[in-house]
Amino acid sequence: MKADDIFDGVTDVRDDLIDGAGEAPKQRSRWTKRRWLGAVAAVLVVAIAVGAFLRPGGGLTAYAIARAEYPRMAPYPGEGGSRAAYDAWWESVKAQRRDLGDTSALEMFFARSAQAFLTEKPGENRVYSPVNVYLALSMLAYLTDGDSRGQILEALGSGGMDELRKQANDVWNVSYRDDGVITSILASSLWLDQDVSFNRDTLDALARDFYASSYRGKMGSKELDKALQNWLNEQTGGLLEEQAGNVELEPTTILALATTLYFKAPWAEEFSKDQTAPQTFHTPTGDVETDFLHQWSSGSYYLGDKFSAVSQSFKEGGAMWFLLPDEGVTPEELLADEEAMEFLFTEKKYDWERPALVNEAIPKFDVSAQFDLKDGLKALGITDVFDRERADFTPMTTGVNEHITLNQTSHAARVVIDEEGCIAAAFTVLSPGGDAPPEEEVDFVLDRPFLFCVTGDSGLPLFVGIVNYPMKA
Amino acid sequence: MDDHAIVELYHRREERAIAETDQKYGGLCRSIALGLLGDREDAEECVNDTWHAAWNRMPPDWPRSLGAFLGRITRNLSISRWRREHAQKRYDGVELLLSELEDCVPAPGTVEETLERRQLGRAISAWLDGLEEGDRRIFLRRYWYGDAVKDLAAEAGQGANALAQRLLRLRKGLRAFLESEGVEL
Repeated sequence: MKADDIFDGVTDVRDDLIDGAGEAPKQRSRWTKRRWLGAVAAVLVVAIAVGAFLRPGGGLTAYAIARAEYPRMAPYPGEGGSRAAYDAWWESVKAQRRDLGDTSALEMFFARSAQAFLTEKPGENRVYSPVNVYLALSMLAYLTDGDSRGQILEALGSGGMDELRKQANDVWNVSYRDDGVITSILASSLWLDQDVSFNRDTLDALARDFYASSYRGKMGSKELDKALQNWLNEQTGGLLEEQAGNVELEPTTILALATTLYFKAPWAEEFSKDQTAPQTFHTPTGDVETDFLHQWSSGSYYLGDKFSAVSQSFKEGGAMWFLLPDEGVTPEELLADEEAMEFLFTEKKYDWERPALVNEAIPKFDVSAQFDLKDGLKALGITDVFDRERADFTPMTTGVNEHITLNQTSHAARVVIDEEGCIAAAFTVLSPGGDAPPEEEVDFVLDRPFLFCVTGDSGLPLFVGIVNYPMKA
Repeated sequence: MDDHAIVELYHRREERAIAETDQKYGGLCRSIALGLLGDREDAEECVNDTWHAAWNRMPPDWPRSLGAFLGRITRNLSISRWRREHAQKRYDGVELLLSELEDCVPAPGTVEETLERRQLGRAISAWLDGLEEGDRRIFLRRYWYGDAVKDLAAEAGQGANALAQRLLRLRKGLRAFLESEGVEL
């Protein structure tokens, strides 16, 4: 008998022994009831207005014309659930899956929009939702025609309305999840002026393809603004209450589109609060002390020419990616880097992957941003809808067709990482040396401005942002 | 994704099974293959071969533990590759493990030389069953998962030398066990 035989014999030991050794060590098992929660939300309000007041007066409060019914998902049964409960859950997960086909045009839109929306104000926190903006623009394409629509389709990389209709509906469905583990809900609503006649077919198509609810009321009234703000808060779990409070519709508005994305998920690999400790973060305006999460993992890290990256998976699908620009490179410069953009928005990241022991240090952060998309949209080539002489909104209304423009494109997003519970952990620091075979060991310390990206189960980017100040909402 | 769901994808012949497997177990299998072979390209080929083998074996197989099932395929493919190529390439991943496992080899004549591989697996499982949990974990992490000694030392809160001594004691224990049980196997 030789050592080779022992090797083979070890290979064939029972499964339960292998699984037992594959689980977290005893001292970590006490953490399992602790979960870090990632909660993120975005709102986008697009308001379409005429150049003058159509009529004064009125006084009706907002009322709902139609409320969207979302797909119902069976709850995740957990590890001890019955086979029947598991099958029901799995069937409902599968029902949301779609074949997105060639996603290169989508990836191109995400990369270009990230450059357009995240680099406007260097040195500030910036967050936006690529999927949310994509869906809002898709809805806008339904409401426009001619060059106005053509510019939107071109920006989205879509070959035509039929293609867009299918893809947008698929994107909505693959991004939707509400099963008790992951909440990922893209909500849409139409806010209609009470005195304008709208094209029923167009509104029906929006309701059907985007699960959009419809509300009607007097534009510029406190009641309608309040109803819209309430809707935004309801859809985003109150995470953007402050930003929603800033959303008001002008009296000249005839239709507003509001889209939201609310995402909440527990980490698959929990952190220990006992390992959380204050550490220095180098903001653009000076050093600050902030709490850092620490985790050791024997997994992968990713290396590009100008960045390094790690990911943290969510339980049952999706992940959060952290991209650290190399010393001397800003997050904004990274957004202009072709390789970094390809890495950020492509699903296959093997080319950059390296197995390694990774010591992660990630600052807790709560970042938000609210900004007007107008300049970014223009940078993407969407200009006619802002021009009262060129905008074409003929599919939208059967009444007013002149001088209709987009007068508000407000986007807000917030990403929060929370912690619950507190428990001690036994192992902390790696001791180098010994007789170990060669293996790379990496310290991944996010102690200077960085990029992050939240992806859903489908791999699509739900949120992308720059953190310059970890705790500045 | 849950293991059961991934296995179900294989049985339904949905190609997405490979992507889901890679997402969940790619890290484990790459780590095993790279630890043994030390060459990124070889390791990646081994992992791809693992997915191919998994696709061919499911159905009919319905593994109770998908991680153990895939990791075992990767180990077998890696050691096969190493045996095939080690005359040309040298890397101390496999060699280091094998040199350590030499300590477990029973003295000549104490165990049937043609002992079937599965019987040996069962015997080692029986020995592992009798170990204290921490020792069992450390042995399997080192010799099944291929974890580095320094990582195991850090996890156990020991120095690397102390952990190496602990592993040596375990290897000698396995040899004694195989020698004592050998004739009945």
